[in-house]
Amino acid sequence: MDQSRIRNFSIIAHIDHGKSTLADRLLQRSGAISERQMREQTLDDMELERERGITIKASAVSVDMPVDGVSYMFNLIDTPGHVDFHYEVSRALAACDGALLVVDATQGVQAQTVANAYAAVENDLHIIPVVNKIDLPGARPEDTALEIEHVLGIPVDDVQFVSAKSGDGIEEMCRSIVKLIPPPSGDRAGHLQGLVFDAVYDEYRGVVCFTRISQGRIRKGQKILLMGRERQYVVTELGKMRPGRVVVDSLAAGEAGYFVASIKTLADVTVGDTVTDALNPAAEPMPGYDPPKQVVFCDFYPAGGEEYDELRDALSRLSLNDASFTFQPQSSDALGFGFRCGFLGLLHMDIVQERLERECGVDVVQTAPSVTYEAQLTSGEVVRVEAAGDLPSIDKIAELREPIIETQIITPAESVGSIMKLADQRRGIFKKQEYLSPQRVMLTYEFPFNEILYDFYDRLKSVTRGYGTMDYHVIGFRTSDLVKMDILVNGKAVDALSVILHRSTADRRGRKILTRLRQEIARHLFEIPLQAAIGSRVIARETIKPLRKNVTAKCYGGDVTRKRKLLEKQKAGKKRMKTIGNVDIPQKAFMAVLEPED
Amino acid sequence: MSEIVRSIYAHVPFCHTICGYCDFYSEVLDRNAVTPLVDALIAELDAYAVATSIAADTIFVGGGTPTTLPAVELRRLLTRLAQCANSEASLEFTSEANPATVTPEIADALVAGGVNRVSIGAQSFDKSELRVLERIHHPPQVAQTVATCRAAGVDAISLDLIFGVPGQSMNAWLSNLQAALALEPDHLSCYGLTYERGTPLFDQLATGVVTRVESELEAEMFEATIDTLAAHGFDQYEISNFAKPGRECRHNLRYWRNEPYLGIGPSAAGFVDGVRYKNVPDTAAYVRASRLGQSARISEERLDAAARSRETMMLELRLREGVARGRFADRFGADPAALFRDAINRHLSLGLLEVDAGAVRLTRAGQLVADSVIADFI
Ligand SMILES: Nc1nc2c(ncn2[C@@H]2O[C@H](COP(=O)(O)OP(=O)(O)OP(=O)(O)O)[C@@H](O)[C@H]2O)c(=O)[nH]1
Ligand code: SF4
Ligand SMILES: [Mg+2]
Repeated sequence: MDQSRIRNFSIIAHIDHGKSTLADRLLQRSGAISERQMREQTLDDMELERERGITIKASAVSVDMPVDGVSYMFNLIDTPGHVDFHYEVSRALAACDGALLVVDATQGVQAQTVANAYAAVENDLHIIPVVNKIDLPGARPEDTALEIEHVLGIPVDDVQFVSAKSGDGIEEMCRSIVKLIPPPSGDRAGHLQGLVFDAVYDEYRGVVCFTRISQGRIRKGQKILLMGRERQYVVTELGKMRPGRVVVDSLAAGEAGYFVASIKTLADVTVGDTVTDALNPAAEPMPGYDPPKQVVFCDFYPAGGEEYDELRDALSRLSLNDASFTFQPQSSDALGFGFRCGFLGLLHMDIVQERLERECGVDVVQTAPSVTYEAQLTSGEVVRVEAAGDLPSIDKIAELREPIIETQIITPAESVGSIMKLADQRRGIFKKQEYLSPQRVMLTYEFPFNEILYDFYDRLKSVTRGYGTMDYHVIGFRTSDLVKMDILVNGKAVDALSVILHRSTADRRGRKILTRLRQEIARHLFEIPLQAAIGSRVIARETIKPLRKNVTAKCYGGDVTRKRKLLEKQKAGKKRMKTIGNVDIPQKAFMAVLEPED
Repeated sequence: MSEIVRSIYAHVPFCHTICGYCDFYSEVLDRNAVTPLVDALIAELDAYAVATSIAADTIFVGGGTPTTLPAVELRRLLTRLAQCANSEASLEFTSEANPATVTPEIADALVAGGVNRVSIGAQSFDKSELRVLERIHHPPQVAQTVATCRAAGVDAISLDLIFGVPGQSMNAWLSNLQAALALEPDHLSCYGLTYERGTPLFDQLATGVVTRVESELEAEMFEATIDTLAAHGFDQYEISNFAKPGRECRHNLRYWRNEPYLGIGPSAAGFVDGVRYKNVPDTAAYVRASRLGQSARISEERLDAAARSRETMMLELRLREGVARGRFADRFGADPAALFRDAINRHLSLGLLEVDAGAVRLTRAGQLVADSVIADFI
């Protein structure tokens, strides 16, 4: 199709503002999906996405869109709204010329609205603000438009008012897309150059790469070069997502689609790579992406112990589909061999763990997540510390630093006081306060990341009665009075339970962790002392009393088999636990360090 | 050559109502189902009598509530069972009974059928506890039942009691014990209440309608039971069973010593020729199989010697006499103290087991956590 009739854009917004529903309306209007096949949030096709009602992965789709009697091709990407998946948004934006910034008319501008709008601006994209959900009784479309102008500096003239639910305003929005978003440029006669913005692993075809062609043309049978690893392949299949895969013979500059080229090794594709012609390669790869920065780490161990290989394969397969998590071999006294994994946030960690279990069928035992610290050694060297167990011995450390985030919190003005109190408890540093409107405020704070990692968002929601939203990003490391706290179970330090924390919080956290452990570890036949210690100094202790009574009296009318099976079951339950120093510790206990503060 | 079976268990799966904690296979009595059931029980026994050499010195009719059967049918069943007795040995012939089900006519049928020991499901002497357990009888009916049985000529009386009933205090439990002792039974079985999945009581626990007695209190009740009964001349010969000298239940000892027994009736379990089996837990299915000449067994397992030796530990450790090292060695060719050295050492050091020249047995502390200890031998 002629480039002038192509539009490439992403749909971006705060969580739940209606991106996927808006994409539904576009799919419907194009006729890409029959009324019969239509369901809500069609592009959320992952089981987990449907269950949780959120978008986790960006989905690209190409649709024919008639606008005022002319047929256009819209290549659109529906993106996730949650802060953990911001990386998906940046990848999508790099493959587009414009963005629809959706804002819920009942909620107004929220934290991720701001973050995503800035990301679009950084990519030089034309932004069309779309005020959504105007059908709802509480909608304030005009106020929302003013907020967009006031906070983001996007002129109101271009604002579209729509209801992604009823379809109101979609017609007009399509006109603006055609009018305001520039068609792709790029010389179709030039050397092939395409950005691989996503990839999935397919059991039968190998790696399927999603690409946006920005110059030249890619054809079936063509010999291509992936510039990152300098590997050559032959294209065996080309196609577009409409939204199912539809095979085509070629994709030209301005178009988006997928290619398959019998790429077997997962490691040969990096998302952000450039595809070019092997014989007439482009001079330069495209800018690509900054690698995502994992900010949260935890260990995954195969639950059965023996399924190490399966876990490794599952992680590699998943990491191709989700370029934003990392893994490397790891081992622990307590848990054996496994992997240290890095994530963009806690939700991301949760999702990866669930996908591993569902899509790959492996059961994992997971340790509590931790942020990354930096240790400056006396030798001058600086090392990253992703878990307390990795901390070099104290006499080698000159200084410990913790990650600091900057956060934007958007809240009703009346909650500012309680947020400030909360921020104080979490060692927050106040930076800025701006009024979005007389009723709503944007606060900027700096926090040590570990103070907000676990439950800050829940606390924020509760002190703002559900109205507060936040976005954050890591801005660097800062020297801090950090200590390593060991947890001893029955006199033995359990490496998987150690934590790094600020000295001022150690006593409180230590007591909490022990209380939680006492609840998670079943009574044994002997007394189990639990201790939290910094170095050799014990700062908290608890005891799990020995089991007093465990005897089933009945002999079940001579049904000995039943009795034996009951005992066998009791024993099998024990096998799924990790035994450390004679104590059986269940998986849940390893999460004890997450015990929320109150 | 098959081994000689010296014990028979027969299951009568009927009760007047089903108690909330009950986990035995039982149905509400349907008068029309009685004769077909007794026919099927007798047929099953007949079939075994052909294939197996039976010379019973213990017979136990349990349930359910055997005394819900009409006197004629009860007597028909008992008489057939009695024919399996070994005429050269003394016979212990027990029937379970529930208070309020034993009329003089039933008691006569029991004795006429050969029963000389009755085990009565008293459970409690407290009205409100009986209500929590959903038992249908009233406290005074226990004494009446005991009297009726004795009058009919029953030789030995055993009472079942339950402790740890929701809401029960230590004093309430001790009064139950005293009320039971006042009836001068020969034998007492005292069970801690268990909440079995699938029973109404289990659901009530899950939904908070009833609250479990603190495990500390339950442990104290158990220890108080041992002491109180000892003071009254009862020997704790098994974790939950207490008897006047010479009045132990020989039938149950067979189970605990891991010796063979025949089980007949719906849901009955048996252990014959090294095979453990279980019958279908459904009266209609059981009767139907019998009519068609099919086996009533729903599962069977043959244990190898190693599994049998572990099972022997599991069972005999419950006995006060413990695992007799000599007998164990004769059966399995090894001393249990050597075979299970690690597990034994672990529990020796925790004071839960004791070992002497004759036996390996649980200490008092070990009895309280018997399941945890025994699990290590499985
Ligand atoms: N009434 C009304 N509800 C809407 C409209 N648009 C979306 N919704 C509802 O808002 C909720 C969120 O919609 P989604 O389309 O999943 O939102 P999203 O922005 O894709 O969410 P994430 O991908 O998780 O960030 C759903 O319950 C939709 O049905 C609208 O115009 N009107
Ligand atoms: S009387 Fe015994 S067998 Fe019958 S329902 Fe009650 S507990 Fe169960
Ligand atoms: Mg979505």
